[in-house]
Amino acid sequence: MKRSAAEIIREYGPFAGVDAVHGVTYDGSHVWFASGDKLNAVDPDSGKVARSIDVAAHAGTAFDGRHLFQIAEDRIQKIDAASGKVLSTIPAPGGGGDSGLAWAEGSLWVGQYRERKIHQVDPESGKVLRTIESKRFVTGVTWVDGELWHGTWENEESDVRRIDPETGKVLEQLDLPAGTGVSGLESDGGDRFFCGGGANGNVRAIRRPRRS
Amino acid sequence: MESLITAAARALEAGDPLGALNRVALRNDAPSLALRGIAMAQLGDLAKAKSLLRSAARAFGPREAVARARCVVAEAEIALVSRDLSWPAKTLAAARATLEKHGDVVNAAHAGHIEARRLLLLGSLDQAGRTLAELASLPLPPASQVMRELVVAGIAIRQLRTKDARAALARAARAVRQADIPALAAEVESASLVLDAPAARLITRGEERPLLLEQVEDLATSEALVVDTFHHAVRRRGTIVPLGTRPVLFALVRILAQAWPADVSRQTLIAGAFHARHLDESHRARLRVEIGRLRTQLEPLADINATKQGFVLTPRKTRDVLVLARPVEEKHAAALALLSDGEPWSSSALALALGTSARTVQRALDELARSGKVQSFGHGRARRWMTPPVPGFPTGLLLPMPLLKA
Repeated sequence: MKRSAAEIIREYGPFAGVDAVHGVTYDGSHVWFASGDKLNAVDPDSGKVARSIDVAAHAGTAFDGRHLFQIAEDRIQKIDAASGKVLSTIPAPGGGGDSGLAWAEGSLWVGQYRERKIHQVDPESGKVLRTIESKRFVTGVTWVDGELWHGTWENEESDVRRIDPETGKVLEQLDLPAGTGVSGLESDGGDRFFCGGGANGNVRAIRRPRRS
Repeated sequence: MESLITAAARALEAGDPLGALNRVALRNDAPSLALRGIAMAQLGDLAKAKSLLRSAARAFGPREAVARARCVVAEAEIALVSRDLSWPAKTLAAARATLEKHGDVVNAAHAGHIEARRLLLLGSLDQAGRTLAELASLPLPPASQVMRELVVAGIAIRQLRTKDARAALARAARAVRQADIPALAAEVESASLVLDAPAARLITRGEERPLLLEQVEDLATSEALVVDTFHHAVRRRGTIVPLGTRPVLFALVRILAQAWPADVSRQTLIAGAFHARHLDESHRARLRVEIGRLRTQLEPLADINATKQGFVLTPRKTRDVLVLARPVEEKHAAALALLSDGEPWSSSALALALGTSARTVQRALDELARSGKVQSFGHGRARRWMTPPVPGFPTGLLLPMPLLKA
């Protein structure tokens, strides 16, 4: 396993009226983050909030190209990104113990925090297709270039790690500075990850290691 | 953090403990137990809250030392508010150290404030002050600042430093406006009232008048000879004759001081100090002995001269004699003073704070209860005492809200 310190490129926030970040996603131009009762779109260049949607937003956030998916209490809401309307909901696999959310290859991937699990879920029915075990509490989840990454947070220590989607084995680990939480994780498809800063109420961009 | 936990924590923060309970009522994982504990505390069920927080602390794994420490702090605060003074202070100190180690400055300070409040309640003023000093110079959120200033004011009031108390309360009032927590604002207000209500009675030359705390403080620098019924001592400026362990001598000097400059008959002295109804020779002999003892004790401050019918107090280096008495004098005044904070006390906590035996306190409480001055609820060890007419529990509780935030 490769292990290194996470390289923080930039910090966004704190944002007015936001006391914690619960989920993060990226729609190709804006970084979206969940702040309890709102989804907020941040322009990654200016760092300003460009738009907000009033919707219950208690944990992970994901984007499938057209819709935002957002965990609230024990449900996953499917939200029209353009209008902000909740189109449908499915039950969350962790029954409310859910944390991170990602969209990839036609499925939703849901982190179950204390159970240290990641579920692959059918976005239409909410059916659990398979479950991957992790070693630590799972916060954010994301897929990029066929790699499955997730954030962890246990006893004031956080890292972002790449795991084998078949075995759950840790392949690579980026450690965040002590006391820095990761709540929510999303790749921009390139060499950046966006991480929610939990109770700090900010969002960090960290560098994804280059493949050689 | 998890979805439902976030939702429940947000409900709690918004002042909706029932909404929080709705979301986690059936869950028994560690964060849910902690949330349920805090919700129950806010709903006033402190016993249930305590057991939930204790379970939560156990359920958080060894790698969640911070979350566990926060539960311990919350439990300690509940113990303090329910006047369970026997709660282990060492556990709180350990939790505080854990929080400090992990950089949770705010909750570590909260733990320190709880420690200081407990010491203040027990009358260990110096220790309470030292505990606060260790926490000084930290930038704290407004609610924590308020708590800190309330302890500072509490110490100052008990040490008769009125100016310091007023300054601390003014700082508390400023911080409470920022904190915007009604319960906390009420607490600051009631603390301020203490400074504007009569703190004592002054008896001199047969007259009485009420004194504010500031005026009591001024007495320390006055030229007068002061017979202090708060501390059972006779003093003039820096010269103090403590008579706390000599109740008969103190009773005699008090009677003499109240009559001053007149003399007091032997009969009055015997009746007042020995609680004897009929005079006989043995009482007269005893009075002679006790007056002799008192004379020796008071040597630096006053003399006691015999007169035709009894004795008279003759102060040295001053022409004024004052008696400083409690605003309302009655039996068990010390116990009532503690109970008048409106919190429910256990008899063992009262005994601890008063420095007397549990039996003595129990007798006092029974007597006060018969005359309707205090009331009790609960049974056995859970029995608590308070002064009516306080409706329910006032919120002295500031449970650390960042408890559940990852």
